[in-house]
Amino acid sequence: MTPSFDDFVAEQVTPLLRYATVLTCDPHLAQDVVQEVLLRAQQKWDRIGSVDLPHAYVKRMVTNEYLSWRRRRAAKDVALCMTTLESVTPPVGDKTHHYDEREAMLQRIAKLPRKQRAAIVLRYYENYEDSEIAQMLGCAEGTVRSHISRALATLRLDHTPEPAGVGLRLGEGLS
Amino acid sequence: MNDTEQLVKEALGKLAERTPHPGPTLNALRRKRKRHGNVFMIAVAGVAAVAVLIFAGVIASDRYMPPNGNDAAAALMPDSGQSVVLKYAPHWLPNGYVENFRLVDREVHRVWVPAAAKGYPFTDGGPQVALIVGGDQPEGADWQDTTVRGLKAKIALRQGQSPGQTAELVWQAQDLLKVSVRGFADVRQVALQVAESVRADAKITHQAPFKVDGKPADHTWGTKPGEWEAMANWKNQVSVHVSPQVPQVGTYVGDVGVRGKVGFRTANAVLVREGDVWIWATAESYSDQLVEAVNKVELVPSPDTSWIGKGLG
Repeated sequence: MTPSFDDFVAEQVTPLLRYATVLTCDPHLAQDVVQEVLLRAQQKWDRIGSVDLPHAYVKRMVTNEYLSWRRRRAAKDVALCMTTLESVTPPVGDKTHHYDEREAMLQRIAKLPRKQRAAIVLRYYENYEDSEIAQMLGCAEGTVRSHISRALATLRLDHTPEPAGVGLRLGEGLS
Repeated sequence: MNDTEQLVKEALGKLAERTPHPGPTLNALRRKRKRHGNVFMIAVAGVAAVAVLIFAGVIASDRYMPPNGNDAAAALMPDSGQSVVLKYAPHWLPNGYVENFRLVDREVHRVWVPAAAKGYPFTDGGPQVALIVGGDQPEGADWQDTTVRGLKAKIALRQGQSPGQTAELVWQAQDLLKVSVRGFADVRQVALQVAESVRADAKITHQAPFKVDGKPADHTWGTKPGEWEAMANWKNQVSVHVSPQVPQVGTYVGDVGVRGKVGFRTANAVLVREGDVWIWATAESYSDQLVEAVNKVELVPSPDTSWIGKGLG
């Protein structure tokens, strides 16, 4: 039985927002992307609602929309991302070294090229296999492995841990 | 998995905690769907749509009391700060059904549930009857033609999250009206019976129990006049609530100065008692915005919650 669009939205809007937030590093952009995708999905719901996994289909729409958004907004990509994050969730002083490392890693992930970042999110947040990532991004599995390998190399190269006890504010180093 | 990969995983998990509340997305989606529907109507139906509307208006004028200009203005501007005219009411409901939810935004939603039902009406998939003013035009292939009080209408039966089917019945009176029914053996029959009983009524008004930053709370629900909760979204990031009941907002973390009093904070909320009610704000995580949001709340003295838990009688 095809679920109604309203039921689908009620069930999936939060998971989609969560995925879009991780993908975009920007809660506001995540909202825009999810709104846009759901609006389009609603107009084609007769078809989308009848596929085996409508949520997977819509998730792919979110990924594609993100990639297209990024094309349009690439010039202000990183600055917007970190500024917006701060406005949404201001950095809270946490003296633990590990917390700082995670925040610093977020900054580095935010600076990755868009397809590399999408591949990293799908691998390490969604736990997708190479084949699933390839299907989601519309590329070959070898390309997926290349994206992830290059991304990890960049993240490792930039990985210069702060000394313990130094509080690093999210967004520092970008200005 | 090496250290870098583990750190990436943890960082992405941290980022996921910043997921925004779905409320603004759902509201924006609803507004955009409505606009798209209007554009579709104008572009595709053109003159035919105008003719249908004129015809519907002529027929409706014989059957519905036209709301006066002030009522219409109030209904269209719920953030004017005045009571909002709800404009329509059913005059038949299944036995024992009482009103327990109102959403007053660009659309008006009123929901009735069995008197014994508890809590927010949309979370348990239980039986309910809803009347929606200003919803979306029917789209899709599963709508069947029918009539409501002689007006053209469309009805669809859908399988949602509730155990049985949900009937959605839409017709154009002076506003686009929709009745949604679930939790009955024959949802179609109940929906038609409720819809046939709907009349325009300019005397039924709604007053939000509070405003935040000048914007009235758009959601209000409860089980009886003394047990209710109202909610508004502030800056698309903070949910602001008022209720006479003690809220469940997590573990006490410390005191915080708010509204000139000592309030409490948790990992992602600020709350304070004022008079007979609790005021609180929640977000993905704690920030000064929560204190600011609570400070911006204007309470309505003695809000009218007499409709909560009330049937037609």
